[in-house]
This record gives sequence, C-alpha cells and structure tokens, in this order.
Amino acid sequence: MAAPAVAPPTARPAVGAHRRRRSLGGDRRRAAYLMLAPAVLHLAWWIGIPTVATFVLAFTRYDILAGTMSWAGLDNFVAIFRDPLWWKAIGNTVVYTFFTVPVAMAVAVVIAVLLNTKLRARAWYRTAVFMPHITATVAIALVWMWMFEPNIGLFNWVLSLFGVRGPAWTSDPAWAMTSVILMSVWKGIGLKMVIYLAALQGIPSDLYEAAEIDGAGPVRRFFAITLPLLGPATFFVLVISLIDSFQVFEQFYVLTPEGGPANATTVMTYEIYKSAFQRFDMSTASAQSMVLFAFLLVLTIVGRRFTGRDDVA
Amino acid sequence: MSLESAVVQPAPASGASGPGRVGGAPRPGRIVLHAVLILLSLLMVAPFVWMVLTSLKSHAEVMSYPPTILPSVWQWVNYPDALAFAPFGTYFRNSLVIAVSHTVINVVLAAMAGYALARLPFRGRSVLLMLVLATMMIPTFTKIVPQYLLAKTMPLFGGNDFLGRGGSGWLDSWWGLIVPGAVTPLAIFLFRQFYLSLPRELEEAGRLDGLGEFGIFARVMTPLMKPAIATVALITFENSWNNFVWPLIVTRSVDLRVIQVGLAAFQQTDATLWEYMMAGTVLATVPMIVLFLFTQRYFVQGFATAGIK
Repeated sequence: MAAPAVAPPTARPAVGAHRRRRSLGGDRRRAAYLMLAPAVLHLAWWIGIPTVATFVLAFTRYDILAGTMSWAGLDNFVAIFRDPLWWKAIGNTVVYTFFTVPVAMAVAVVIAVLLNTKLRARAWYRTAVFMPHITATVAIALVWMWMFEPNIGLFNWVLSLFGVRGPAWTSDPAWAMTSVILMSVWKGIGLKMVIYLAALQGIPSDLYEAAEIDGAGPVRRFFAITLPLLGPATFFVLVISLIDSFQVFEQFYVLTPEGGPANATTVMTYEIYKSAFQRFDMSTASAQSMVLFAFLLVLTIVGRRFTGRDDVA
Repeated sequence: MSLESAVVQPAPASGASGPGRVGGAPRPGRIVLHAVLILLSLLMVAPFVWMVLTSLKSHAEVMSYPPTILPSVWQWVNYPDALAFAPFGTYFRNSLVIAVSHTVINVVLAAMAGYALARLPFRGRSVLLMLVLATMMIPTFTKIVPQYLLAKTMPLFGGNDFLGRGGSGWLDSWWGLIVPGAVTPLAIFLFRQFYLSLPRELEEAGRLDGLGEFGIFARVMTPLMKPAIATVALITFENSWNNFVWPLIVTRSVDLRVIQVGLAAFQQTDATLWEYMMAGTVLATVPMIVLFLFTQRYFVQGFATAGIK
C-alpha cells in the first residue's frame, strides 16, 4: 500500500536517528499480535467456541439431521435426571473415583518415600513405575483384557495356583467395575509418584536427622514428618486425580464394552459418548456434558481453596 | 538422562542429596527395601512382558491351559502375519503422520505464542494469559460435541456448501484428524514458562545488532530453548499418539484409523486372536516406551513444570 504524503497525525516528528526508538514499542506490539494470532485463533475456534456452544446446546433441541434448533429451556436437564441410567452413570463414576484415587495415591506415596532413599538402581524402579503412565490407555487396556480372560488368562491361572477359582472379571456384573479399577490403579500410580517425589525433595533432611537422634523409627518418621509436610502435594495430587478420574473413558470403552454387563460400568463419559455419537442426540449429550463440567468445576474450586495454589503453577 | 536426574531438582537448600536416610539404612533393612521395590517393579512391568510374550506364541499355545510363561517356539512370524491379517501397518503409519504433524505444528505455533506472552509487551497480555490457562482446564467431554459439529460443518469441505451444509465437512479426513487438536494451551503455557527464564540482556543484544522482533525470537532466544522444545515435543507426541476419543468419533474409514482405534476395532471383531492383538499392542506401545527410555528427563520436566497433563 503506497503511503500518502501526509504524515499520520499520531506520528512523532523525529525520523532518522530516533526512528528505531520511536517504532520499538509498535514493532514489538505488532510482532506480538502476529506471533499470537495463529495459536489464539486456533484455541478460540476449537476450544472457546465449543465450550460456549455446549452451554447453549444444552438448553436447545437440536436436530442434527434436519439442522433445526429450538429453545428447550431446562427440558434436557429434566430429561436426563429422570433417566435412571444417567443416575447410574453418576453413581458408577463416583464409585470408580472413590476406589481408584485413594488407593493409587496411597501406593504412590509409599513408593515415592521408598524411592527417595539413596539406592542403587532407583532410576530403574522409578522408570518401571512411571512406564504405564506414558503408554496408550487403549493398548494397555487390551493387555489387561487378555490377563482378565476367565478361562486361559493370567490372573485366573495365578489364582488357581492358590486354589482360588477366579471370577469372569470383565463380564461378571459383580466384578466388572473391580477389573477396571485394578487396571486404573496400576496405570495411575506413576504420575502421582513423580509429583510426590518432587515434593519430597523439598523436605529438609535435618528434620529426619533430628527425629532419628530422638529415636523415631522409620514408620514414626513417615507419619510425624513426611506425611504432614506432603500435605500441599497431597491435595494437589488429589485434585488432579479426581478430575482425571471423572473424565475416564478409554479403559471402560475397551475392558467393558457397551457400558459393561448390566450397565455395571456405565460412567458419565460413556453416556455422553453414547448420546452424542451413537444416538446423535447432541442436546442431551451437551446437557450431560454440563453436569460433568459442573462436577469438575466444583472439584477444581474446592481443590484450589485447599491447596492454595493455581492448578497450573 | 534418567528419571532420577530430572526429579532431583536443583540441589535442595539443605545441601544433602536427599532427605531420606542419608547415611544409608542397615543392611537387612536395605535388602527388604530392595525386595519390596523389585516386587513392585515386576508388578508394574508384568503386563508389558506378558504382552510381548503372548505376541510371540503360536495360536494353539495361546489358547492352551495352563498357560506357558515363555513361548515353546518363538513365533516371530506373528508380526508379519498380524500385519497381513489386520492393517496394523496402516494404522501405525496414520498415528505416526498425525503425531508428527501435531508435534511440528504445536511446537512452532505454541513457541511463538508463548514467546509473545512471556517477552513482548502488548495491551491485554495478562487477560490473554488467563484465557489460555482457562482453556487448559476445559475437560475433553465439555467441548467434544460442538468440536464434532464444527468439523462436520466446515464450509466447502467434504461436499459441504459455503454455509457448511449438505456434506460431511472434515469428518473422516486428514483435516479433521490433524487440525482440531494441533495447538494445545498446555504447550503455550510451558513455552511461556521457559521463555520467561531467559535473561533480558540477550534480547537487548539482539536488538542492538539490528535484529527485528522475529529475528530475536528465531535466532537469539529459541536456539537456547532446546530442552524446552524437546519437552513440549515429547509431551505433544505422546498425547497425540495415545489419543483415542477424537480419532474414534471423526473417522469412519479403515484407511484413516489410528492405531488405538484400530486395536479397539480389532478387539470387537477378532477377540480370540490374542497373539495378533498383542502384536498390535506391541506396535502401539513400544514406540512410546523406547522414546521414553531415552528422553525421560524431558518428560518428567514437562510433568513437573505443568503439574497436570
């Protein structure tokens, strides 16, 4: 674009020697906008708009085939809360969380404390514990499915060595949830352990030395020093674990397809998936998503209050 | 380059190398400790070992009871056979293409955005940062329905008119697989944190040398960020490679399946061919494990910096 001869009114008089300084702020601002534009537009389009849209869709009747939309008010919410299966899904999600999160946390903190001593090969132990975290949930769930196989699988064979007749695991309504919980505990320990390990590095060793001089044994030291000082880390681990747990999907999808035997393992995410992508009822799915979102929001806020820190710091 | 060196943060103030029993426990305690840790490690690794062993047994041996631990004959031929039986090779390639695309796009775009948020002054910077952090906390299932609708109604793609009606848009296409998840707020945030740590003098030296803002970003600051780039690249690659829900809902055709979706589909149709399925899971997990074993430090750095995944 050819510049007009008239200087823009905001331009300062000095050219030449002062040019660099004059334009510095503007250059940097322009550079900032250019550098931000692709990423910010992407996030706005693929996360910003969808988040708002879910909220809107939840209050409408949207027909994906006809492309029509009408206001529904609270109808979708009334409908899902009249649906016993949705209550079952909420219940199953809570049960799953209640048994997975504390167990994995307890195991993780014990391993972290054991690994925080100076040991030969401790890098190997840490790697072994962390490995499940970085591998794909779907692939790993298939391996567990194979271990859970009732007739020729590893678990029931090992149990038979002790004279125990193992259950049908994933296909038995009484055991399906337990099966998924077992796998999830195994998979979830690694990340929690790494966060605990990082927190343990911050506990000053003179506390332990003093306690040792006072004659406190390892168990006493753990409960009197380690556990209290791990308080903030524990809350942090708890919050991220709860949030992850409410969003769990893959292991349920693979280990117990179709929501499990007698809906024993239908969780909230699975119901959302079914509403949206099997029945193509986007409005119901959005209302269900909003309920899940509300749970997560409350957990996040409560967690932040207790941990006194930002989730992402 | 071990997990150890990454978790041990810059030497603690007390100066001791670890707050545990610094002097070392008495011998018997040590042996018990090792025994417990070895047992735990074995429990963690056992499923991986069982996966590999199963993938190398004959079908008859897999189906026999009681199970054998080691294959009586090592059936390496299971791998080519599995690839011939189900298109695991195609799935693998698709996953690789998508994970590499995501990694490249995310590193480039998120580095620029993170740099601007960390080092360039502009109006609304703190508001924008808060917004990026907020998008990080939006759960997958809160946005997935409209994301799907956005992909489906992408104008002028997949037979859609210019209003996005009539066709399938980006569904069942490379566009739909790659573009929506290409930029992650986590990567922007990580880059911002890393760029914040660089000294201001460098930036000013670049400016004195007459470099523009892009020059300073690309030629002065970013070359110092190799560990940060490695961290973001690995986390992006891992998340992309392991992603399941999005590829599951946007693709229909077998040619576009990623390996995780392909495995789940294989399970639903051929659930008794465990040796092939385990060969497939080896293909799906081993690349990540190998990558992880060589680059643990960067993975852990990423988790420690971000706190959350």
